[in-house]
Amino acid sequence: MKSLRAIVPLVIIIIILASSSFFTVKEGEQALITQFGKPVGGPFSEAGLYFKIPFIQDVHLFEKRLLKWDGSPNQIPTRDKKYIWVDTTARWRITNPLRFLQTVATERGALSRLDDIIDSVVRDLVSSNLLIELVRSADWDPARGREAMEEFNPPAPEKLQAVVKKDDGEPTIVQQGRQLITRRMLAAAAKVTPQYGIELVDVEIKRINYVESVQKRVYERMISERKRIASQYRSEGEGEKQTILGTMQKELARIRSEAYEKAQKILGNADAKATDIYGKAYGQDPEFYSLFKTLESLSISPGTDKAELILSTDGEYFKYLKQAK
Amino acid sequence: MPMDWTPPPRGTGGQQQPDLGKVVSDIRSKLPSFKKAKGLWIVVLIVLALIAGSSAYYTVGPEETGVVLRFGQYVRESGPGLHFKLPLGIETATTVKTGRVFKEEFGFRGTQPGIRSRFTEKGYSDESLMLTGDLNVIDVKWIVQFKVREPRKWLFAVRDGVAAIRDLSEATMRSIVGNRYGDEVLTLARVEIAAQAQVDLQKLLDSYDAGVQVVTVKLQDVNPPKPVQPAFNEVNEARQQKERMINEAQEAYNREIPKALGNAKRVVTEAEGYMAERVNRAAGEALRFDQVLTAYRKAKEVTKRRFYLETMQKVLKNAGKVYVVDDKVKGLLPFMDLTKGRGPAKEVQK
Repeated sequence: MKSLRAIVPLVIIIIILASSSFFTVKEGEQALITQFGKPVGGPFSEAGLYFKIPFIQDVHLFEKRLLKWDGSPNQIPTRDKKYIWVDTTARWRITNPLRFLQTVATERGALSRLDDIIDSVVRDLVSSNLLIELVRSADWDPARGREAMEEFNPPAPEKLQAVVKKDDGEPTIVQQGRQLITRRMLAAAAKVTPQYGIELVDVEIKRINYVESVQKRVYERMISERKRIASQYRSEGEGEKQTILGTMQKELARIRSEAYEKAQKILGNADAKATDIYGKAYGQDPEFYSLFKTLESLSISPGTDKAELILSTDGEYFKYLKQAK
Repeated sequence: MPMDWTPPPRGTGGQQQPDLGKVVSDIRSKLPSFKKAKGLWIVVLIVLALIAGSSAYYTVGPEETGVVLRFGQYVRESGPGLHFKLPLGIETATTVKTGRVFKEEFGFRGTQPGIRSRFTEKGYSDESLMLTGDLNVIDVKWIVQFKVREPRKWLFAVRDGVAAIRDLSEATMRSIVGNRYGDEVLTLARVEIAAQAQVDLQKLLDSYDAGVQVVTVKLQDVNPPKPVQPAFNEVNEARQQKERMINEAQEAYNREIPKALGNAKRVVTEAEGYMAERVNRAAGEALRFDQVLTAYRKAKEVTKRRFYLETMQKVLKNAGKVYVVDDKVKGLLPFMDLTKGRGPAKEVQK
């Protein structure tokens, strides 16, 4: 029992000593040891259990993970004097804890330093590039998507195209493109950050948008563009309608005249044939034909109404009556 | 149970020693009573065992993966079920929902998922408005679905992985949309854009070592910005109008042309009928004449006379009034009442 009395305080002391002389570095963390403020050990960048001298040495833990930097949107003019909002984001990590501790100390300090660095780089590169370079990528191909363009946005008629040249002076070739520009932003900013023990891993342009006044004008342009397309559709419709109606009239005239021609041909043919037949028949004895036809027409002529006849006694019909008198 | 190690405050190391002495003497003074109650030791031991036991296991849900750290160092992963670990903070376990597919929404937020989901769009237009390659503005809403592929990386390679996904997704979507014409984005290229966004996003996240798998990227509403929408609708209307006009014209064409063709046929057929009639009549009359002529030639004089008389007879039968005028009668007209109605009687004046 005596030994137990001695053990209990000993155990307690050991526990206290151990707990302040061991420390763990978690996954995703790294650590530094300072002795009265002076860095003496580390960096411990692997996770695990480590030893330090208790009470004298302090442990400083730092993130090893990828950290976020989010810039506040900046209003920057591009090289072609278009005012845009640019919102960038970046990822960074602490690669040199000692230098990090010495220069910026905390994440907050690091972020404010990054604000200065990245903002100025972004400003430089945005204002030295055209807007399309920031929007399009290096593999921009003006011909791609033509199909969709033409279906939904028919090109102006050729005659007009020659007259109205698009005046936005927009080059069709993209020299750098968004990716290359962001890569250049990253390269420029990453050159500066190592002195703070920071590695800049990525810079991305998260958002680009027109400032309000420009946006309004862009909307107006878009609206007028749509109106142009709409009226083009309408007049195309009207034009096609008239074309079809014109074709119809032409067809109608052709059909009617062709039929007339055919009919006249047939009628002529018929008359000719009839004349031929009559001629042949009556030609045998024209004298008799005259008599035959005269008498025939006489017997037909009075019709149904009772006609009044005036006959002269000189006529053949009264020859005998006259003689008798 | 995470193992928090807080560094002791500086300069307090020396002060702790007297405290410790006091504690030791306290315990010593109490020991005699301990001696009397041996059972108390057992109680203490049981409590300690319980504490150790309760921190010696952990459970992992069906859609989760457990990650075990020993002194902060990654040692193993475990699947769903009950698992054991070293107790008292030597090993700690974290669970990550690796089986679940998470969704991030851009340009809107689903407020009430359900059969009829409700969405809010207000205040998220910053996320959805972007520039197209032809420097127009377009409103693109989309979702990203992702899964944690490697829990170790998800936990320890990137802090706030969701923020990384959101930032990168916005950046890639703008980059892709910026590389296309607005009309293309609105119509044909939707599927293509989503597929490309998925590939690009995955590539970027892999470069971050985020341990995330992008399951799908889907475009939701893609619209022109609100103030421009009426103009876009007008274009659609105009297209419909164009179609309508063409249809109307074609309708007129289809109505008129067959009718005209029918009419033409009728005209021709009528002419053919006329021809048949005319020729047949001529042939008939010629035949009759032929026959009469043959007969006439047999007795010319008599036939001539007969014809004449027969005709006269027919004529007289049909006539209403017959005036026979002799040479000697002069001035017939004064006696004739030309206005008188036609009487049935025949007046023969001599």
